Parts: sequence; structure tokens; C-alpha cells
Amino acid sequence: MLPTQKTPPKPNLNDLTVLVYGPSKIGKSTWCSHADGALFLATEAGLNNLDVYQVPIATWDELLAACKEIAEGKHAFKTVIIDTVDNAYRMCAEHICQKFKIEHESDLGYGKGYALINNEFYRVLNKLALLPYGLFLISHSQEKEIETRTGKLTRVVPTLPDKARKIVLGMVDIILFCDLEPTTGADGKPAHRRVIRTKPNTSYEAGDRTGRLPEVIDLDFAKFVSAFTQGLAAAPAASTAPAAASNPTATAAPQAKPRAAAGPTR
Amino acid sequence: MTERMTTTYSMWNLFRNCRKAAHWRYVLELVPLEKDRHLSFGSLIHECLEVWHRARDLSAALDVIDRACPNRAQEEDQRRVWHLATAMMRGYAARYAQEEFEVVALEKSFEGEIINPETGAASRSFTLAGKVDGIVRIGDEHFLLEHKTAAGVDAGYLERLWTDFQITVYAYYVEKALGIRVAGVLYNILVKARLQQGAGETEEEFAVRRAELIAKSKTGKSSAKRRLPESDDEFQARLAAKYAEPEMFHREMLYISRDQFATLRAELWELTQAFLDARRRDVWYQNTSFCFQYGKPCPYFALCRSGGSPNVLENFYERRPPHEELRAADAERLSPAGANETF
Repeated sequence: MLPTQKTPPKPNLNDLTVLVYGPSKIGKSTWCSHADGALFLATEAGLNNLDVYQVPIATWDELLAACKEIAEGKHAFKTVIIDTVDNAYRMCAEHICQKFKIEHESDLGYGKGYALINNEFYRVLNKLALLPYGLFLISHSQEKEIETRTGKLTRVVPTLPDKARKIVLGMVDIILFCDLEPTTGADGKPAHRRVIRTKPNTSYEAGDRTGRLPEVIDLDFAKFVSAFTQGLAAAPAASTAPAAASNPTATAAPQAKPRAAAGPTR
Repeated sequence: MTERMTTTYSMWNLFRNCRKAAHWRYVLELVPLEKDRHLSFGSLIHECLEVWHRARDLSAALDVIDRACPNRAQEEDQRRVWHLATAMMRGYAARYAQEEFEVVALEKSFEGEIINPETGAASRSFTLAGKVDGIVRIGDEHFLLEHKTAAGVDAGYLERLWTDFQITVYAYYVEKALGIRVAGVLYNILVKARLQQGAGETEEEFAVRRAELIAKSKTGKSSAKRRLPESDDEFQARLAAKYAEPEMFHREMLYISRDQFATLRAELWELTQAFLDARRRDVWYQNTSFCFQYGKPCPYFALCRSGGSPNVLENFYERRPPHEELRAADAERLSPAGANETF
């Protein structure tokens, strides 16, 4: 019953859970639309100019229904994209408020409403992450002032409430921050280059559990896939849970699919 | 022989409560990136009390608060802390204008051996260090002075003081390291008032309220006036009245028996052995009963929940050497001012 071999790193993007966030109109949805077999669960408008498969989602129940169909597997989609996860969270909050007949989540007192929302939200995302499809979560970005032990700093973070953000960042394999990098144009004038940042910094949140991605990549899906594939070829065979447990700062192999089961389920 | 690891009460207490959390903090040296506001308030009051008991100069204590909240005019959080801390210290100075004790030392640091109770030999792996809020003399006896800020003092709170592992540790080591017989502890408890500064109502809120009153009124009129925000002076006056109430400050004196020292030595030694075993096998199990102490998640909850995800670790935590509470003590030991302390 016990394994005789280490779990190999997932070689396929379709096995990973990815959070993509950044400012409006930078091209997050367009970037995700190039994913293999992409299906958008569109919780907000904004896909009108994209030629994509999409399910408009207006309520949490509609999202659950779409997820149920996806889980049944009678389709050819390979990547599920929730656009945006921020709106999905709001729908989840409305769903809980309706279920408990309250106007606001704080009405239940002692943080119970927030906990119910977070549990329901995590349950569904976790279940989606466990399916044999890639899961891309899109979020907008916001600046947040953080008071640290040594002073205040302003950080760009996804626009999810704090606890939900911690849940999402903890379950994804890759956190991609879409940003504009100042550069100089061909005409010598200041210009901006659209990039993806993959490593955390004091100024923004990002991360790459696969350890395959360079720190900065152009916001171009083909270049991203190329970097991921090259990183896969270059990466040594990584071990899984034991190494991560004893030294979590070491780059651990992506293990979202099997590991996500550790969270609460209903 | 390798260098011995300096430990504190906080470390052993955390290890006893949750080995996983102790591993995050004391082995991997991680702390949350964001500062805990509740802990910051307690630290601020501790600093004020040290200043107050050193010279009994209220303005100096209030200066500490002013410096800690430089942006109180603009920032809600700082304004709330400033109001509460200022009223608390003013109330404290008024309540304890005359003290029954004589201050012997304040913020006194100590370091000592952890002894194997069976052999009497010192641990080759650990030493124990700490810092007491104060040492005071009442008559012929010495007591540790321990400041605490609390949301309230009820029966459960007072009962828990009897099982305070920290004070037994401190008393034992103060005796050993500083050569003073400690008779007991004087708990100095300051209660945090739950009052909020009145925010008033907007024009729109007032219009809605007034319309509701008019709808209920038989005359179709209302004399209601818009509620204006409470001024700083008005709020301070309300807080001052609150801090004049007897239950906002409490002192509890407990005597420490020599039997407690024997129990402490045995428990502390057992903890060192358990820690060595955990470190040797690299097994740090999580005590899930400890995840939500005092109604809020443990600082490492997000990390444990994610299974130690590097994404969570790198985005929400930073590396800080442990025992931050001792660093000020180190500075004190090195500074000429520290050498002049009255102890």
C-alpha cells in the first residue's frame, strides 16, 4: 500500500492551479484564453472581445451547477478559468447570507458568517482543484498598506478579502502578478512592457512552487509555456511532501492535486 | 561543544502548546509579515508603565504614547490606540498616586542554566533567558511585578493566574541568577475599555432617521438633531470616567511555594528532552486544539492550513531571529545607562 517511488513533478500545466492577478485591462483574460481547452466561468463581464467558450455565472448556485457539469467530465475542456475569483467570492458571500437569512456576513456575530463563507468557498475551489483539469483563478489587484515590525509598506495584492486570499494563495501552485514594467521604446521614449512576475517581493505577492519559471516573463502565453517547459527540462527531479515539511523554504514540487485533499471537506 | 541555544518562557510555552508553531517560530525563525495590533498595544502599555514606575512622571509616559502614534490625526487605528492608552495611563497614575511597594528594578533581564533535576547537571543544549517587568519590595519581601492588559477580569482570569507557568519560571531564575528570594508575584492588571469614539452620522443617515421619526410622529414633525462626531476631548472625558471605575485596574498578589520550583525544574527538563527528540527526528506535530486560542487564529494557521506552502510562507511571513523580547535587554546590558540601574 505504501509507495515505492517518489511522486514525479506534474509536467503539464493542465494539472496545476494558478492564480493570475493584476490591474484592469492589462490582459489577464486574454492571456488565460490561450490555455489548452479553456473554459471560462465568467462571473463578471469583460469577455466580449474574446472568442472563447464561456458560461456566464450570476450566482453561486450557477457556479456550483457549472462545476458539477465539469466534474462529470462529458466535455473536452482541459482548463477551467474563474474570471474573476473576486466576484465568485462575493457570490459565495451572498449565497451564505441568503441561506442564513442575514443581510451581511457580520450579522451572525463572532466571525461566524465569514468562516461559513470561507469554508464554502474553499470547499468548492478545493474540489475544482482536485479535478483532472487545470484551474486558473483571475483576480484584480489593489494596493494594500501593511504595517510590519519595521514600518509600513505598500504592497500590490489580489482583491480578495484577507482570509480568502490566504486560502487561495495556500492552495495554488503558481501566483502570477501581471504588471507594467517601465522600459524605453524604439523611439527612445519611456514605454511600458507588460510582464508577469513569478517570485514574491516586498512590493507584490507572487510565487512559483514548481520552481521552473524565471522571475519575469512577457505577458504572452506562448512565452510562458515555453519558460515552463524549459524549466521542466532543467529542473532536477524534486521530491514531494517530506522535503517540503522539513524545509518549506526549499522549492517543493507542485503537488496541488493530491495535497489539496488535506483541507476541510463537507 | 556546540553553542547552547538560548530559550525563553515564550518558546517553551509555545512548544508545550503546539510543536508545529514552535518549529515555525524557533527553528525556521518565521514571523507573520503583518504586525499584530493587539500585541502592539500591550507592548506600548508595558513601555509606558516602565517609564511611569521609573520616575513617576506622567507626562513622560504620555510622551511615549504620542511618539508611538505620530499619525493619529489621519489614521483611525493610531487614534484609537492613542485614546485608549492615554486614558489608561492617566487613570493608572490617578489610581496609584501612592504605591505600597518600592521599586527595586524594572525590565530586568536574567539568564540561567536549565538543570537536570536528577543529576543536578546543567543542560548542554539550552540556557533560559528572560526579562521581568519589575521587582518590587513590600516590607521585607520581594515580589515580581507583572503587568498585564486584559479585556476584562473575571473569575476565570483570576483562577488562571494560579497556573501561570511564566511567573514560576521567572521567579525561579530571578532567585538563581540575581540572588534575591522571590516571595511571590504582584499582578498589575489594566483593563482595556471597550468604548468607541462616536462617529456621528452623515447628512444622509440623519435624513433617513429623521424621516423615520416623522413617519412615527403624530404631529408629522421631529425635533431630532444630527448626531455629530464625538470630539477628542469629549471622548477622553468619557474614557476618564470609565477609568475612574474600580474594576478597570486590579492588583492580585500570589505567593509562590518552593514546591512549585521543584515541579518547574522537572517540567522544564522534560520539555528540553522532548524538544531535542523532536529536532532529532524532525517531527513537529500540530496541536489542532491550539489553532484558535482566544477566539482568533494562531499566527501560523495559514501556513499550517496550506501544508507549509512556499507561496504562503514567502508572501505572508518573514524571517526574524527569535526572542525579540530579549533584544532590548541586550541593548540595556551594553549601554552605560544600563550599568547605572539601581538594582
